[in-house]
Amino acid sequence: MNLNFAAKREALARQFDDIQWQTDSGSSPQDLEAQVQLWEQTGLPHATIKAKTFALICEQGQIAIDRDDIFQDKLNGGKLMVEQRKRWEKQVKDTYLKEQTDAIRRAWRDCGAYTGHGDYGHISPNSKLLLEMGLVGLLERVERYAAQENLSESQHVFYDSCKIMLNAMITVAKRLSEAIRPYNRENADALWQIAVGKPRNTYEAMQLLILYFFLHEYVAGARVRTLGRLDVLLYPFYKKDLESGSYTKAEIREMLKFFLHKFWSAKVPFDLPFCLGGIDESGNEVTNEMSYLIVQTYNSLNIYSPKIHIRVSDQTSADFVKLVLSCIRGGNSSFVFVNDSIATKALRGVGITETDARNYVPIGCYEPAVWGVELGCTGNGAINLVKAVEFVFTRGRDLKSGEMIGIDTGEIGSYEAFIDALKRQLCYITDRAAQYVIDIEKHYREIYPDPILSCQYDESVRRGVDLYEGGAKYNSSSLYFYCIGSFVDAVCAVKQLVFEEKRLSFDTLGDILKKDWANAETLRQVALHLPVKYGNGNPVADAIAAEIADFCAGLVNNRPNGRGGVFKASLFTIDRCFYVGERTMATPDGRHAGAPLSKNMCATTGMDKNGVTALISSVTKMDLSKFPNGSVLDIILHPSAVQGEDGLDAFYALLLTYFRQGGFAMHGNVFHVKDLRAAQKEPEKYKTLQVRVCGWNAYFVELSKVEQDAFIRQAENAI
Amino acid sequence: MNGTIFNIQRFCTNDGPGIRTTVFFKGCPLSCLWCHNPESQRGEREILFYKEKCSGCGRCKEMTVEDTDFLCYNDAKRICGKSVTVTEVLEEVLKDRLFYENSGGGLTLSGGEPLAQPAFAAALLKGAKEAGLHTAIETCGFTSERVIREIAPVVDLFLFDFKETNPTLHKQFTGVDNARILENLRLLDSINKESILRCPIIPGCNDRPEHYEGICRLANELRHLRQIEIEPYHSLGEGKYAALGKPAAHFDRFTDEQVQEIIQTIQNGTAAPVKKA
Repeated sequence: MNLNFAAKREALARQFDDIQWQTDSGSSPQDLEAQVQLWEQTGLPHATIKAKTFALICEQGQIAIDRDDIFQDKLNGGKLMVEQRKRWEKQVKDTYLKEQTDAIRRAWRDCGAYTGHGDYGHISPNSKLLLEMGLVGLLERVERYAAQENLSESQHVFYDSCKIMLNAMITVAKRLSEAIRPYNRENADALWQIAVGKPRNTYEAMQLLILYFFLHEYVAGARVRTLGRLDVLLYPFYKKDLESGSYTKAEIREMLKFFLHKFWSAKVPFDLPFCLGGIDESGNEVTNEMSYLIVQTYNSLNIYSPKIHIRVSDQTSADFVKLVLSCIRGGNSSFVFVNDSIATKALRGVGITETDARNYVPIGCYEPAVWGVELGCTGNGAINLVKAVEFVFTRGRDLKSGEMIGIDTGEIGSYEAFIDALKRQLCYITDRAAQYVIDIEKHYREIYPDPILSCQYDESVRRGVDLYEGGAKYNSSSLYFYCIGSFVDAVCAVKQLVFEEKRLSFDTLGDILKKDWANAETLRQVALHLPVKYGNGNPVADAIAAEIADFCAGLVNNRPNGRGGVFKASLFTIDRCFYVGERTMATPDGRHAGAPLSKNMCATTGMDKNGVTALISSVTKMDLSKFPNGSVLDIILHPSAVQGEDGLDAFYALLLTYFRQGGFAMHGNVFHVKDLRAAQKEPEKYKTLQVRVCGWNAYFVELSKVEQDAFIRQAENAI
Repeated sequence: MNGTIFNIQRFCTNDGPGIRTTVFFKGCPLSCLWCHNPESQRGEREILFYKEKCSGCGRCKEMTVEDTDFLCYNDAKRICGKSVTVTEVLEEVLKDRLFYENSGGGLTLSGGEPLAQPAFAAALLKGAKEAGLHTAIETCGFTSERVIREIAPVVDLFLFDFKETNPTLHKQFTGVDNARILENLRLLDSINKESILRCPIIPGCNDRPEHYEGICRLANELRHLRQIEIEPYHSLGEGKYAALGKPAAHFDRFTDEQVQEIIQTIQNGTAAPVKKA
């Protein structure tokens, strides 16, 4: 097998751009669609139809092979199964949830206040079991359970659809094996092994992970949001290969290049994550030779997808963390650090056992969920905290649209009454968002059964219940709280201007805000320059942040959801600080209507004037172990602050202090504000300048002007 | 006890080991031609005015250097320098105690010249030592032997400037002779104080082989020198000259290659590690 990645890289990078489907290998998605439509008229359970659709594509769909690649993965399912899910979701919404769906759409699209939706993504397959048992092993296990007596109708449906889908995947492995055989015998053998047994070496393990991922994500329409702990997955194979002499370290490194680059060239939306490091179920650190090899190989490719989550426990070696920090310093910012002690504590707080909690993987951006045991649904909905401030001033009405989205919390006569009103608003809109999630979750059976995923979860297979109907050991849902920084600054400004200095009444301030500070520029400047702002280690602001964070976590955590599990709270904003900012009226801290709100747990852009240590001390005043669906701080550092060996040590100490103080996740960008400005002016010269948007990366020059400006303002305060 | 400072900067990673907080003292006995902190030279409060940021609102018309609470909305006018107590500064410095503990960092005094306010500097350093912090001081060394002896017990590391070997040129560039400076450095070394030599290299002034040789000779003579840090000229201070209404001297800038060459030249003459600051 030719393992010279460098020679193939250019061709491989284009492999997903214009796939040459082998037209004689099967039917196009358009030709298969008629059959799918027929099934949908029959009244068969949706799990069955889904399984049959998948099998139809796997057996009769067109394939394509890459002679340049050492892994095969291409089956032409078009958008058939994504469209199917959308149809089913629409049916449910039109039939049962029309009013609720309209209401939530208004609350989000028009008002940027809150949202809720079904989450069919954010999946972590149990890839460890997949590699241990292989497709065949999983199939045999399903067959054993299916052979039990006295099964209910729905259990039959479940086991049958699992069997159909597993068999279908096996069929694809065989078809691809035959097709590639004339060109790459070793690849053909690996695919054949996957079809008849379990992977025996690193190469077959990688091929199975790739085949599984691309069939599930690109054919069955799932959103796989992590493949799990890659060092844990590959290390046993790697060790065996070196011992037996099957492959050398150099060969495995080269394979890793093909493997990682596959996800890059596929341009997986929001980037597929892998996880490295951290403790296992017994509390022992897992970092191994593979962890180092993956980081080094990944960094040498100079790509930002897949993205890499680094779990850090109190046993993770400084060497390993510093290796990753040096990659970040070198401009590769697609690493995120997550703190094991806070993650496990947070998960225990929502009823997850200590042993299970230790085996979490960060899903999607940073949301911890137990690997192969918990169906996380980590992206169900969100609440814009700052909208609560608007609603207290407007008595519950969205200023722009006039819609009644919040509640009337009445006259505000004191600071305490203001805080109380804010909490009532938050309580109300959180209830609305959660209720919609619950309503739609009760219809997951119709919208999104996922047999191929379910058959990797012990509990689901044992009980014969699909994961999306509550088949996991932990069936969690999630709600995010957006823009804590802007919220705190708004509250601090009201406290000082209205209730302490008594410069103006609460209602007068409200009138000024409704008019977006018209004729009140002096006051706006005073508000902008108030000394009490979140992110500066100010005790007043930090206490408000801590109080509200606790309150929000209490609103969400352990609230029963619609699938027999509970909700988990998140404290980060993704990239929605712009979207919700556009829909939020002027705020008391001097912000104009429509301007962006604060990112993640960051300070309001440009308002953290005391540097990164002060920002960290503010953030860690909040009890982040109460956010079992994750929280994140982004920091921007100036290259000179982290240069040399001493700089790397300082970077490490910064991360360590954040974690020891109770921080959960952190991602770092290291760049110079002058480079960002130059890139804005001459984008063609800075095509490869990467920034971390939130849980994923982007090229700076491809961001909108507003987003670019936010990065520039943030970087201006970097020391 | 009160002193005059013009900034407290947290998360400094280039002023001694680990993560540090650097306190900038106002006032300096030297007046180096290339000074990049011109606002630190005078001991008194001064007004900095950034013309390009001014919106012309006129609010500052009556403002004087005494109005320390004045806030320009455009950040065009700032008062540089404020009087602070040892307790106030320590309170701010101790906020980052955990970062120091995790990184081996601590407090650094810089300026201006910290030893131009010797009693305040000593009190501050003493307080920091009592709180268990690592202490460093960046100094030009132009002070009396008495001050050096007084300060030495509460300083763990001296970041000692060495600007020019030739005494005549030293006076020409900085306004003072370097004899006392060198005596003080030797004194510190003789009482076992650790030091880092900080050497600004300015095109057209001290970028001469004789000076590089001088740096090496000095370095080789010191027993407790940790390393030599080369500070190539940068023009970041020029905006501040304009804001103070002072003329700035212009110097060329080295290319990265030239800086590497200088470092290599000096490294060839000494066993002490030579780095870019």
